[in-house]
Amino acid sequence: MCLLERLAENYKRISIVGMAKNAGKTTALNYLIEEAMDEGLTLGITSTGRDGEGTDVVTGTEKPRVYLDTDTIVSVPKQLYELADAGLEILEETPYGTALGQILLCRVADAGYVQVAGPVINTQHIQMCEEMLALGADLVLIDGAIDRKTIAAPDISDAIILSTGAVLSRKLDRVVEGTAYTVELYSLPVLEDGMERDIIREHAESDRVFIVKNGKAVTLNITTGLGSGKLLDNAIDEEVTHVFVPGAFTQSVVADIDRRKLKATTFVLKDPTKIFIDKATWGRLRKSGLTVKVLENITVAAITVNPTSPAGYSFDHGEMASAMQKAVPDIPVIDVMMA
Amino acid sequence: MAECNTAVAQIDLTKVKPYGDTLNDGMTEVAFTLPVPYGDEANEAAKILAKKMGLDEPNVVYAKEMTKEYTFFVVYGKCQHTVDYTTIKVAKVEVDVMDRLECAEYIKENIKRPVVIVGASTGTDAHTVGIDAIMNMKGFHGHFGLERYEGIEAYNYGSQVPNEDLIAHAKELNADAILVSQTVTQKDIHIQNLTNMVELLEAEGMRDKVILVCGGPRISHELAQELGYDAGFGQHKYAEDVASFVLTEIVNRGMV
Repeated sequence: MCLLERLAENYKRISIVGMAKNAGKTTALNYLIEEAMDEGLTLGITSTGRDGEGTDVVTGTEKPRVYLDTDTIVSVPKQLYELADAGLEILEETPYGTALGQILLCRVADAGYVQVAGPVINTQHIQMCEEMLALGADLVLIDGAIDRKTIAAPDISDAIILSTGAVLSRKLDRVVEGTAYTVELYSLPVLEDGMERDIIREHAESDRVFIVKNGKAVTLNITTGLGSGKLLDNAIDEEVTHVFVPGAFTQSVVADIDRRKLKATTFVLKDPTKIFIDKATWGRLRKSGLTVKVLENITVAAITVNPTSPAGYSFDHGEMASAMQKAVPDIPVIDVMMA
Repeated sequence: MAECNTAVAQIDLTKVKPYGDTLNDGMTEVAFTLPVPYGDEANEAAKILAKKMGLDEPNVVYAKEMTKEYTFFVVYGKCQHTVDYTTIKVAKVEVDVMDRLECAEYIKENIKRPVVIVGASTGTDAHTVGIDAIMNMKGFHGHFGLERYEGIEAYNYGSQVPNEDLIAHAKELNADAILVSQTVTQKDIHIQNLTNMVELLEAEGMRDKVILVCGGPRISHELAQELGYDAGFGQHKYAEDVASFVLTEIVNRGMV
Protein backbone atom coordinates (compact mmCIF):
# COMPACT_ATOMS: atom_id res chain seq x y z
CA MET A 1 0.00 0.00 0.00
CA CYS A 2 1.42 3.37 -0.82
CA LEU A 3 2.16 5.89 1.90
CA LEU A 4 -0.53 8.37 1.01
CA GLU A 5 -3.32 5.85 0.89
CA ARG A 6 -2.42 4.70 4.38
CA LEU A 7 -2.31 8.31 5.58
CA ALA A 8 -5.63 9.24 4.01
CA GLU A 9 -7.33 6.34 5.78
CA ASN A 10 -6.37 7.67 9.19
CA TYR A 11 -5.87 11.41 8.92
CA LYS A 12 -7.43 14.52 7.44
CA ARG A 13 -4.67 17.08 7.93
CA ILE A 14 -1.00 16.26 7.49
CA SER A 15 1.86 18.69 7.86
CA ILE A 16 5.24 18.35 6.29
CA VAL A 17 7.61 19.64 8.92
CA GLY A 18 11.22 20.38 8.13
CA MET A 19 14.24 19.95 10.38
CA ALA A 20 15.80 22.85 8.50
CA LYS A 21 15.63 24.84 5.34
CA ASN A 22 16.31 22.74 2.22
CA ALA A 23 15.62 19.51 4.08
CA GLY A 24 13.38 18.38 1.24
CA LYS A 25 9.88 19.43 2.36
CA THR A 26 8.63 20.43 -1.06
CA THR A 27 10.15 17.33 -2.65
CA ALA A 28 8.25 15.29 -0.05
CA LEU A 29 5.11 17.26 -0.88
CA ASN A 30 5.53 16.53 -4.59
CA TYR A 31 6.02 12.86 -3.83
CA LEU A 32 2.68 12.79 -1.99
CA ILE A 33 0.96 14.82 -4.71
CA GLU A 34 2.08 12.26 -7.28
CA GLU A 35 0.77 9.42 -5.16
CA ALA A 36 -2.54 11.24 -4.81
CA MET A 37 -2.81 11.54 -8.59
CA ASP A 38 -2.30 7.78 -8.93
CA GLU A 39 -4.88 7.07 -6.23
CA GLY A 40 -7.41 9.59 -7.49
CA LEU A 41 -7.52 11.43 -4.16
CA THR A 42 -8.53 15.08 -4.07
CA LEU A 43 -5.94 17.01 -2.12
CA GLY A 44 -6.04 20.34 -0.38
CA ILE A 45 -2.64 22.00 -0.60
CA THR A 46 -1.42 24.85 1.54
CA SER A 47 1.82 26.09 3.03
CA THR A 48 2.90 28.03 6.11
CA GLY A 49 5.50 29.72 3.95
CA ARG A 50 5.65 29.77 0.21
CA ASP A 51 6.17 26.93 -2.24
CA GLY A 52 6.75 26.39 -5.87
CA GLU A 53 8.76 29.52 -6.63
CA GLY A 54 11.73 28.89 -8.91
CA THR A 55 14.51 30.04 -6.63
CA ASP A 56 14.94 30.24 -2.90
CA VAL A 57 14.64 33.72 -1.33
CA VAL A 58 17.42 33.01 1.16
CA THR A 59 20.00 30.86 -0.58
CA GLY A 60 19.18 31.61 -4.19
CA THR A 61 19.31 27.90 -4.96
CA GLU A 62 16.84 26.21 -7.25
CA LYS A 63 13.66 24.97 -5.62
CA PRO A 64 11.27 22.27 -6.76
CA ARG A 65 8.11 23.59 -8.39
CA VAL A 66 4.69 22.29 -7.44
CA TYR A 67 2.46 20.71 -10.08
CA LEU A 68 -1.17 20.33 -9.11
CA ASP A 69 -3.76 18.08 -10.69
CA THR A 70 -7.25 19.16 -11.69
CA ASP A 71 -9.71 19.59 -8.78
CA THR A 72 -7.01 20.12 -6.16
CA ILE A 73 -8.03 22.77 -3.64
CA VAL A 74 -5.18 25.19 -3.08
CA SER A 75 -4.47 28.38 -1.13
CA VAL A 76 -2.85 31.14 -3.17
CA PRO A 77 -2.25 34.73 -2.11
CA LYS A 78 -3.32 37.48 -4.50
CA GLN A 79 0.18 38.46 -5.51
CA LEU A 80 1.02 34.89 -6.56
CA TYR A 81 -2.29 34.17 -8.28
CA GLU A 82 -1.27 35.51 -11.66
CA LEU A 83 2.06 33.69 -11.49
CA ALA A 84 0.28 30.33 -11.58
CA ASP A 85 0.70 28.38 -14.74
CA ALA A 86 -2.30 26.21 -13.85
CA GLY A 87 -5.84 27.41 -14.46
CA LEU A 88 -7.26 28.45 -11.09
CA GLU A 89 -10.91 28.93 -10.29
CA ILE A 90 -11.32 31.23 -7.27
CA LEU A 91 -13.76 29.70 -4.83
CA GLU A 92 -13.42 32.09 -1.99
CA GLU A 93 -11.52 35.12 -0.79
CA THR A 94 -10.48 34.34 2.76
CA PRO A 95 -10.06 36.97 5.50
CA TYR A 96 -6.45 35.86 6.01
CA GLY A 97 -3.94 38.48 4.97
CA THR A 98 -0.29 37.72 4.30
CA ALA A 99 2.79 39.59 3.18
CA LEU A 100 1.92 38.44 -0.34
CA GLY A 101 -1.67 39.57 -0.19
CA GLN A 102 -5.05 38.16 0.82
CA ILE A 103 -5.27 34.36 0.62
CA LEU A 104 -7.59 32.99 -2.05
CA LEU A 105 -8.95 29.46 -1.95
CA CYS A 106 -8.91 28.08 -5.49
CA ARG A 107 -9.84 24.93 -7.34
CA VAL A 108 -7.39 23.84 -10.00
CA ALA A 109 -9.41 23.86 -13.23
CA ASP A 110 -6.46 23.18 -15.51
CA ALA A 111 -3.54 21.14 -14.14
CA GLY A 112 -0.23 22.95 -13.96
CA TYR A 113 2.36 24.62 -11.78
CA VAL A 114 1.17 26.77 -8.88
CA GLN A 115 2.97 28.92 -6.33
CA VAL A 116 1.36 28.02 -3.04
CA ALA A 117 1.29 30.09 0.14
CA GLY A 118 -1.00 30.10 3.13
CA PRO A 119 -1.61 32.04 6.34
CA VAL A 120 1.46 32.53 8.53
CA ILE A 121 -0.57 32.26 11.72
CA ASN A 122 -1.37 28.77 13.00
CA THR A 123 -4.88 29.52 14.28
CA GLN A 124 -5.77 30.77 10.80
CA HIS A 125 -4.43 27.53 9.35
CA ILE A 126 -6.77 25.53 11.55
CA GLN A 127 -9.78 27.46 10.23
CA MET A 128 -8.61 27.35 6.63
CA CYS A 129 -8.00 23.57 6.68
CA GLU A 130 -11.59 23.14 7.83
CA GLU A 131 -12.74 25.19 4.86
CA MET A 132 -10.59 23.18 2.46
CA LEU A 133 -12.09 19.93 3.73
CA ALA A 134 -15.57 21.43 3.41
CA LEU A 135 -14.78 22.39 -0.18
CA GLY A 136 -14.20 18.75 -1.00
CA ALA A 137 -10.59 17.89 -0.22
CA ASP A 138 -10.13 14.30 0.97
CA LEU A 139 -6.88 15.20 2.68
CA VAL A 140 -5.15 18.51 3.38
CA LEU A 141 -1.36 18.70 3.13
CA ILE A 142 0.31 21.65 4.86
CA ASP A 143 3.84 22.31 3.73
CA GLY A 144 6.03 23.82 6.43
CA ALA A 145 8.53 26.62 6.05
CA ILE A 146 12.24 26.70 6.92
CA ASP A 147 12.53 25.07 10.37
CA ARG A 148 9.17 26.20 11.71
CA LYS A 149 7.84 23.23 13.65
CA THR A 150 4.81 24.50 15.59
CA ILE A 151 2.47 23.45 12.76
CA ALA A 152 3.17 19.92 14.02
CA ALA A 153 0.91 20.71 17.01
CA PRO A 154 -1.97 18.23 17.24
CA ASP A 155 -4.64 20.93 17.04
CA ILE A 156 -3.37 21.78 13.53
CA SER A 157 -2.13 18.46 12.18
CA ASP A 158 -3.47 14.97 12.75
CA ALA A 159 -0.07 13.60 11.78
CA ILE A 160 3.18 14.93 10.37
CA ILE A 161 5.83 13.93 7.92
CA LEU A 162 9.24 14.95 9.18
CA SER A 163 11.67 15.99 6.47
CA THR A 164 15.35 15.86 7.24
CA GLY A 165 18.42 16.12 5.08
CA ALA A 166 22.12 16.54 4.64
CA VAL A 167 21.68 20.31 5.05
CA LEU A 168 21.61 19.84 8.85
CA SER A 169 25.26 18.82 9.10
CA ARG A 170 28.20 17.52 7.12
CA LYS A 171 28.30 14.60 9.54
CA LEU A 172 25.71 11.91 8.93
CA ASP A 173 25.47 10.87 12.57
CA ARG A 174 24.75 14.48 13.55
CA VAL A 175 21.85 14.60 11.07
CA VAL A 176 20.49 11.29 12.34
CA GLU A 177 20.87 12.24 16.02
CA GLY A 178 19.24 15.63 15.54
CA THR A 179 16.28 14.11 13.72
CA ALA A 180 15.92 11.27 16.22
CA TYR A 181 15.88 13.88 19.01
CA THR A 182 12.91 15.64 17.42
CA VAL A 183 11.14 12.29 17.08
CA GLU A 184 11.96 11.56 20.72
CA LEU A 185 10.37 14.84 21.80
CA TYR A 186 7.32 14.21 19.64
CA SER A 187 6.80 10.85 21.34
CA LEU A 188 7.07 12.10 24.92
CA PRO A 189 4.89 10.21 27.42
CA VAL A 190 1.29 11.39 27.52
CA LEU A 191 -0.08 12.24 30.97
CA GLU A 192 -2.07 9.18 32.03
CA ASP A 193 -5.84 9.30 32.45
CA GLY A 194 -6.82 10.06 36.00
CA MET A 195 -7.58 12.79 38.45
CA GLU A 196 -4.51 14.89 37.59
CA ARG A 197 -5.19 14.78 33.87
CA ASP A 198 -8.80 15.81 34.46
CA ILE A 199 -7.74 18.73 36.65
CA ILE A 200 -5.10 19.89 34.19
CA ARG A 201 -7.40 19.48 31.19
CA GLU A 202 -10.05 21.53 32.91
CA HIS A 203 -7.69 24.44 33.58
CA ALA A 204 -5.46 24.21 30.51
CA GLU A 205 -7.69 26.47 28.44
CA SER A 206 -7.06 29.42 30.76
CA ASP A 207 -3.57 29.66 29.21
CA ARG A 208 -2.07 30.39 32.61
CA VAL A 209 0.80 28.69 34.39
CA PHE A 210 -0.56 26.65 37.31
CA ILE A 211 0.57 24.04 39.80
CA VAL A 212 -1.34 21.02 41.05
CA LYS A 213 -1.19 20.91 44.82
CA ASN A 214 -3.08 18.40 46.97
CA GLY A 215 -5.16 17.54 43.94
CA LYS A 216 -6.14 21.17 43.30
CA ALA A 217 -5.04 23.56 40.58
CA VAL A 218 -3.46 26.79 41.86
CA THR A 219 -2.94 29.45 39.21
CA LEU A 220 0.30 31.40 39.53
CA ASN A 221 0.39 35.13 39.16
CA ILE A 222 2.66 35.21 36.10
CA THR A 223 1.82 36.06 32.50
CA THR A 224 4.26 33.60 30.96
CA GLY A 225 6.53 30.76 31.95
CA LEU A 226 9.40 32.44 30.09
CA GLY A 227 12.05 33.59 32.55
CA SER A 228 9.88 32.53 35.50
CA GLY A 229 12.23 29.89 36.92
CA LYS A 230 12.70 31.75 40.22
CA LEU A 231 8.97 32.26 40.74
CA LEU A 232 8.28 28.64 39.94
CA ASP A 233 10.99 27.58 42.37
CA ASN A 234 9.25 29.58 45.11
CA ALA A 235 5.86 28.14 44.25
CA ILE A 236 6.90 24.50 44.25
CA ASP A 237 6.79 22.80 47.65
CA GLU A 238 6.45 19.19 48.80
CA GLU A 239 2.76 19.08 48.08
CA VAL A 240 3.09 20.10 44.45
CA THR A 241 2.91 17.15 42.06
CA HIS A 242 2.52 18.84 38.67
CA VAL A 243 3.36 22.14 37.01
CA PHE A 244 1.42 23.05 33.88
CA VAL A 245 3.09 25.41 31.43
CA PRO A 246 0.73 26.45 28.60
CA GLY A 247 3.31 28.22 26.45
CA ALA A 248 6.89 27.83 25.37
CA PHE A 249 9.02 25.52 27.47
CA THR A 250 12.56 26.89 27.35
CA GLN A 251 15.57 26.62 29.55
CA SER A 252 14.59 29.87 31.29
CA VAL A 253 11.42 28.22 32.60
CA VAL A 254 13.29 25.60 34.58
CA ALA A 255 16.81 27.05 34.95
CA ASP A 256 16.36 28.37 38.49
CA ILE A 257 14.39 25.52 39.97
CA ASP A 258 16.06 23.61 42.77
CA ARG A 259 17.16 20.12 41.76
CA ARG A 260 15.21 18.37 44.47
CA LYS A 261 12.04 20.20 43.53
CA LEU A 262 12.68 19.47 39.87
CA LYS A 263 12.89 15.77 40.67
CA ALA A 264 9.72 15.68 42.72
CA THR A 265 7.40 17.36 40.20
CA THR A 266 6.17 16.55 36.71
CA PHE A 267 6.00 19.31 34.14
CA VAL A 268 2.98 19.07 31.87
CA LEU A 269 2.77 20.73 28.45
CA LYS A 270 -0.02 20.86 25.88
CA ASP A 271 2.10 19.15 23.25
CA PRO A 272 5.77 18.67 22.32
CA THR A 273 5.94 21.69 19.97
CA LYS A 274 6.15 23.83 23.11
CA ILE A 275 9.68 22.58 23.82
CA PHE A 276 12.53 24.88 22.77
CA ILE A 277 15.49 23.14 24.35
CA ASP A 278 18.44 21.74 22.43
CA LYS A 279 19.47 18.13 22.67
CA ALA A 280 22.47 18.62 24.97
CA THR A 281 20.57 20.81 27.47
CA TRP A 282 17.61 18.44 27.37
CA GLY A 283 19.89 15.54 28.22
CA ARG A 284 21.41 17.47 31.12
CA LEU A 285 18.02 18.51 32.49
CA ARG A 286 16.72 14.97 32.24
CA LYS A 287 19.75 13.80 34.19
CA SER A 288 18.99 16.33 36.92
CA GLY A 289 15.59 14.79 37.25
CA LEU A 290 13.31 16.78 34.93
CA THR A 291 10.17 14.88 33.95
CA VAL A 292 8.00 16.24 31.16
CA LYS A 293 4.67 14.84 30.05
CA VAL A 294 2.26 16.14 27.45
CA LEU A 295 -1.51 16.23 27.12
CA GLU A 296 -1.27 15.25 23.48
CA ASN A 297 1.45 13.73 21.38
CA ILE A 298 2.46 14.09 17.75
CA THR A 299 2.14 11.25 15.28
CA VAL A 300 5.14 11.10 12.98
CA ALA A 301 3.72 9.15 10.04
CA ALA A 302 6.93 9.05 8.04
CA ILE A 303 10.39 10.53 7.83
CA THR A 304 11.79 11.66 4.52
CA VAL A 305 15.52 12.00 3.97
CA ASN A 306 17.31 14.18 1.43
CA PRO A 307 20.96 13.12 1.22
CA THR A 308 21.98 16.21 -0.79
CA SER A 309 22.81 19.61 0.69
CA PRO A 310 22.64 22.80 -1.35
CA ALA A 311 26.08 23.58 0.15
CA GLY A 312 27.44 21.06 -2.31
CA TYR A 313 28.04 17.86 -0.33
CA SER A 314 25.94 14.73 -0.11
CA PHE A 315 25.66 11.38 1.63
CA ASP A 316 25.22 7.98 0.09
CA HIS A 317 21.49 7.43 -0.51
CA GLY A 318 21.24 3.95 0.96
CA GLU A 319 23.50 4.75 3.88
CA MET A 320 21.50 7.77 5.01
CA ALA A 321 18.12 6.06 4.81
CA SER A 322 19.33 2.97 6.65
CA ALA A 323 21.10 4.97 9.38
CA MET A 324 17.91 6.97 9.92
CA GLN A 325 15.78 3.81 9.92
CA LYS A 326 18.06 2.25 12.51
CA ALA A 327 17.65 5.28 14.80
CA VAL A 328 13.84 5.30 14.51
CA PRO A 329 12.88 1.69 13.81
CA ASP A 330 9.11 2.20 14.14
CA ILE A 331 8.64 4.97 11.57
CA PRO A 332 8.90 4.42 7.81
CA VAL A 333 11.87 6.26 6.28
CA ILE A 334 11.66 7.35 2.65
CA ASP A 335 14.44 8.71 0.49
CA VAL A 336 12.49 11.27 -1.52
CA MET A 337 15.28 11.79 -3.99
CA MET A 338 15.20 8.10 -4.92
CA ALA A 339 11.44 7.64 -4.90
CA MET B 1 12.90 55.52 -35.03
CA ALA B 2 16.01 57.51 -35.91
CA GLU B 3 19.28 55.80 -36.81
CA CYS B 4 21.71 55.51 -34.00
CA ASN B 5 25.38 54.61 -34.03
CA THR B 6 25.37 52.41 -30.95
CA ALA B 7 25.76 48.67 -31.37
CA VAL B 8 22.16 47.96 -30.50
CA ALA B 9 20.01 51.02 -30.43
CA GLN B 10 16.77 49.69 -29.06
CA ILE B 11 16.17 48.78 -25.47
CA ASP B 12 14.63 45.34 -25.35
CA LEU B 13 13.15 44.94 -21.87
CA THR B 14 12.92 41.19 -22.32
CA LYS B 15 16.72 41.02 -22.69
CA VAL B 16 18.21 43.63 -20.39
CA LYS B 17 21.95 43.64 -19.85
CA PRO B 18 24.47 46.05 -18.30
CA TYR B 19 25.28 49.33 -19.98
CA GLY B 20 28.79 50.80 -20.07
CA ASP B 21 29.85 52.90 -23.04
CA THR B 22 27.13 51.80 -25.40
CA LEU B 23 23.78 50.15 -24.89
CA ASN B 24 23.96 46.41 -24.31
CA ASP B 25 27.75 46.24 -24.27
CA GLY B 26 27.39 44.35 -21.00
CA MET B 27 30.22 46.17 -19.25
CA THR B 28 30.41 45.06 -15.63
CA GLU B 29 32.77 45.69 -12.76
CA VAL B 30 33.27 43.15 -10.02
CA ALA B 31 35.48 43.21 -6.95
CA PHE B 32 36.60 40.26 -4.86
CA THR B 33 39.45 38.78 -2.86
CA LEU B 34 41.09 35.41 -3.50
CA PRO B 35 43.18 33.52 -0.96
CA VAL B 36 46.20 33.36 -3.29
CA PRO B 37 49.53 35.24 -3.29
CA TYR B 38 49.74 38.40 -5.41
CA GLY B 39 51.24 37.78 -8.85
CA ASP B 40 50.60 36.75 -12.45
CA GLU B 41 49.01 33.48 -11.42
CA ALA B 42 46.64 35.38 -9.17
CA ASN B 43 45.57 37.66 -12.04
CA GLU B 44 44.99 34.63 -14.22
CA ALA B 45 42.90 33.02 -11.49
CA ALA B 46 40.79 36.17 -11.24
CA LYS B 47 40.25 36.20 -15.00
CA ILE B 48 39.22 32.54 -15.09
CA LEU B 49 36.81 33.14 -12.24
CA ALA B 50 35.32 36.18 -13.98
CA LYS B 51 34.81 34.08 -17.13
CA LYS B 52 32.98 31.51 -15.04
CA MET B 53 30.79 34.34 -13.71
CA GLY B 54 29.74 34.95 -17.28
CA LEU B 55 32.00 37.92 -18.01
CA ASP B 56 33.52 37.88 -21.49
CA GLU B 57 36.94 39.39 -22.14
CA PRO B 58 37.76 39.80 -18.45
CA ASN B 59 40.29 42.47 -17.69
CA VAL B 60 41.98 42.75 -14.29
CA VAL B 61 42.24 46.51 -13.88
CA TYR B 62 43.42 46.47 -10.31
CA ALA B 63 45.12 43.91 -8.08
CA LYS B 64 46.58 44.48 -4.62
CA GLU B 65 48.07 42.25 -1.98
CA MET B 66 45.72 42.52 1.01
CA THR B 67 48.00 40.63 3.33
CA LYS B 68 50.35 37.76 2.69
CA GLU B 69 48.66 35.09 0.55
CA TYR B 70 45.57 37.21 -0.18
CA THR B 71 44.94 39.36 -3.23
CA PHE B 72 42.15 41.82 -3.94
CA PHE B 73 40.96 42.35 -7.53
CA VAL B 74 38.82 44.66 -9.56
CA VAL B 75 37.85 43.04 -12.83
CA TYR B 76 35.99 44.45 -15.84
CA GLY B 77 34.24 42.25 -18.33
CA LYS B 78 31.28 41.98 -20.67
CA CYS B 79 28.32 40.26 -19.10
CA GLN B 80 26.89 37.57 -21.36
CA HIS B 81 23.65 37.15 -19.50
CA THR B 82 20.40 39.01 -19.90
CA VAL B 83 17.34 39.45 -17.71
CA ASP B 84 13.74 39.46 -18.83
CA TYR B 85 12.59 42.60 -17.02
CA THR B 86 8.99 42.28 -18.21
CA THR B 87 8.34 39.09 -16.23
CA ILE B 88 9.67 40.37 -12.90
CA LYS B 89 7.19 40.63 -10.08
CA VAL B 90 8.18 41.81 -6.62
CA ALA B 91 5.96 41.43 -3.59
CA LYS B 92 5.35 44.75 -1.90
CA VAL B 93 3.52 45.85 1.18
CA GLU B 94 0.05 46.74 -0.08
CA VAL B 95 -0.66 49.69 2.15
CA ASP B 96 -1.19 53.38 1.49
CA VAL B 97 1.63 55.06 3.33
CA MET B 98 0.50 57.80 5.70
CA ASP B 99 2.86 60.42 7.09
CA ARG B 100 3.38 60.98 10.82
CA LEU B 101 0.48 63.39 11.25
CA GLU B 102 -1.88 61.30 9.16
CA CYS B 103 -0.96 58.30 11.33
CA ALA B 104 -1.89 60.27 14.46
CA GLU B 105 -5.18 61.23 12.85
CA TYR B 106 -5.82 57.61 11.79
CA ILE B 107 -5.28 56.41 15.36
CA LYS B 108 -7.68 59.03 16.73
CA GLU B 109 -10.37 58.18 14.23
CA ASN B 110 -10.09 54.43 13.87
CA ILE B 111 -8.27 52.95 16.86
CA LYS B 112 -9.17 55.42 19.62
CA ARG B 113 -6.56 54.16 22.09
CA PRO B 114 -2.76 54.24 22.35
CA VAL B 115 -0.98 51.77 20.09
CA VAL B 116 1.86 49.90 21.80
CA ILE B 117 4.83 48.88 19.68
CA VAL B 118 7.89 47.07 21.05
CA GLY B 119 11.06 46.53 19.09
CA ALA B 120 14.63 45.29 19.34
CA SER B 121 17.56 43.95 17.46
CA THR B 122 17.39 40.34 18.56
CA GLY B 123 19.68 37.36 19.04
CA THR B 124 23.39 37.88 18.51
CA ASP B 125 22.93 41.01 16.42
CA ALA B 126 24.60 43.95 18.15
CA HIS B 127 23.54 46.55 15.58
CA THR B 128 20.91 49.04 16.60
CA VAL B 129 21.06 51.22 13.49
CA GLY B 130 18.00 49.58 11.93
CA ILE B 131 15.68 49.56 14.91
CA ASP B 132 16.86 53.06 15.93
CA ALA B 133 16.11 54.40 12.47
CA ILE B 134 12.52 53.22 12.80
CA MET B 135 11.86 53.82 16.49
CA ASN B 136 14.08 56.59 17.89
CA MET B 137 12.62 60.03 18.13
CA LYS B 138 15.14 61.63 15.79
CA GLY B 139 14.61 58.94 13.20
CA PHE B 140 16.71 58.63 10.09
CA HIS B 141 17.28 60.55 6.89
CA GLY B 142 14.76 63.22 7.77
CA HIS B 143 12.08 60.73 8.76
CA PHE B 144 11.13 60.94 12.44
CA GLY B 145 10.92 57.68 14.38
CA LEU B 146 7.90 56.08 16.05
CA GLU B 147 8.72 57.66 19.43
CA ARG B 148 7.63 60.97 17.99
CA TYR B 149 4.29 59.67 16.72
CA GLU B 150 1.25 60.86 18.62
CA GLY B 151 -0.84 57.93 19.76
CA ILE B 152 2.00 55.42 19.54
CA GLU B 153 3.83 54.18 22.62
CA ALA B 154 7.14 52.93 21.28
CA TYR B 155 9.53 50.82 23.35
CA ASN B 156 12.97 50.21 21.89
CA TYR B 157 14.90 47.55 23.81
CA GLY B 158 18.16 47.95 21.90
CA SER B 159 20.41 45.18 20.67
CA GLN B 160 21.22 41.56 21.45
CA VAL B 161 17.84 41.03 23.06
CA PRO B 162 16.91 37.36 23.39
CA ASN B 163 13.63 36.52 21.66
CA GLU B 164 12.23 35.30 24.96
CA ASP B 165 12.87 38.65 26.64
CA LEU B 166 11.25 40.63 23.85
CA ILE B 167 8.20 38.35 24.05
CA ALA B 168 8.02 38.78 27.82
CA HIS B 169 8.11 42.58 27.37
CA ALA B 170 5.43 42.41 24.70
CA LYS B 171 3.21 40.29 26.90
CA GLU B 172 3.67 42.57 29.87
CA LEU B 173 2.83 45.70 27.88
CA ASN B 174 0.08 43.96 25.94
CA ALA B 175 1.81 45.16 22.77
CA ASP B 176 -0.03 45.49 19.47
CA ALA B 177 3.07 44.99 17.37
CA ILE B 178 6.55 43.54 17.69
CA LEU B 179 9.33 44.87 15.47
CA VAL B 180 12.35 42.63 15.03
CA SER B 181 15.48 44.01 13.45
CA GLN B 182 18.34 41.99 11.98
CA THR B 183 21.11 44.11 10.54
CA VAL B 184 24.33 42.19 10.22
CA THR B 185 24.43 38.45 10.58
CA GLN B 186 26.60 35.67 9.27
CA LYS B 187 25.75 32.39 7.60
CA ASP B 188 22.01 33.08 7.62
CA ILE B 189 21.83 32.88 11.42
CA HIS B 190 19.24 35.68 11.21
CA ILE B 191 16.88 33.25 9.51
CA GLN B 192 16.97 30.81 12.43
CA ASN B 193 16.68 33.63 14.92
CA LEU B 194 13.66 35.06 13.10
CA THR B 195 11.85 31.73 12.82
CA ASN B 196 12.62 31.02 16.47
CA MET B 197 10.74 34.24 17.34
CA VAL B 198 7.69 33.14 15.35
CA GLU B 199 7.72 29.69 16.90
CA LEU B 200 8.03 31.01 20.44
CA LEU B 201 5.09 33.36 19.81
CA GLU B 202 3.02 30.48 18.45
CA ALA B 203 3.91 28.36 21.47
CA GLU B 204 2.98 31.21 23.80
CA GLY B 205 -0.38 31.48 22.04
CA MET B 206 0.39 35.10 21.12
CA ARG B 207 1.01 34.93 17.40
CA ASP B 208 -2.55 35.78 16.38
CA LYS B 209 -2.71 38.59 18.95
CA VAL B 210 0.25 40.65 17.69
CA ILE B 211 1.37 42.12 14.42
CA LEU B 212 4.82 40.77 13.75
CA VAL B 213 7.17 42.76 11.57
CA CYS B 214 10.79 42.13 10.65
CA GLY B 215 13.26 44.51 9.10
CA GLY B 216 16.82 44.76 7.92
CA PRO B 217 18.91 45.14 4.78
CA ARG B 218 18.51 41.46 3.88
CA ILE B 219 14.80 41.28 4.64
CA SER B 220 12.18 41.44 1.93
CA HIS B 221 8.44 41.11 1.96
CA GLU B 222 8.68 37.74 0.22
CA LEU B 223 11.08 36.47 2.85
CA ALA B 224 8.68 37.66 5.56
CA GLN B 225 6.03 35.25 4.23
CA GLU B 226 8.51 32.36 4.33
CA LEU B 227 9.59 33.27 7.85
CA GLY B 228 6.04 33.64 9.14
CA TYR B 229 5.98 37.42 9.64
CA ASP B 230 3.15 39.74 8.69
CA ALA B 231 5.48 42.08 6.85
CA GLY B 232 9.14 42.61 6.09
CA PHE B 233 10.81 45.95 5.48
CA GLY B 234 14.13 46.27 3.67
CA GLN B 235 16.27 49.23 2.82
CA HIS B 236 14.76 52.67 2.11
CA LYS B 237 11.81 52.08 4.40
CA TYR B 238 11.11 54.45 7.25
CA ALA B 239 8.96 54.79 10.37
CA GLU B 240 5.93 55.94 8.36
CA ASP B 241 6.03 52.77 6.23
CA VAL B 242 6.09 50.58 9.34
CA ALA B 243 3.52 52.66 11.23
CA SER B 244 1.11 52.76 8.28
CA PHE B 245 1.29 48.99 7.94
CA VAL B 246 0.85 48.30 11.66
CA LEU B 247 -2.06 50.74 12.07
CA THR B 248 -3.91 49.52 8.99
CA GLU B 249 -3.39 45.93 10.06
CA ILE B 250 -4.74 46.65 13.57
CA VAL B 251 -7.96 47.87 11.96
CA ASN B 252 -8.10 45.08 9.35
CA ARG B 253 -7.66 42.39 11.96
CA GLY B 254 -10.21 43.97 14.27
CA MET B 255 -7.69 44.51 17.06
CA VAL B 256 -9.19 47.93 17.78
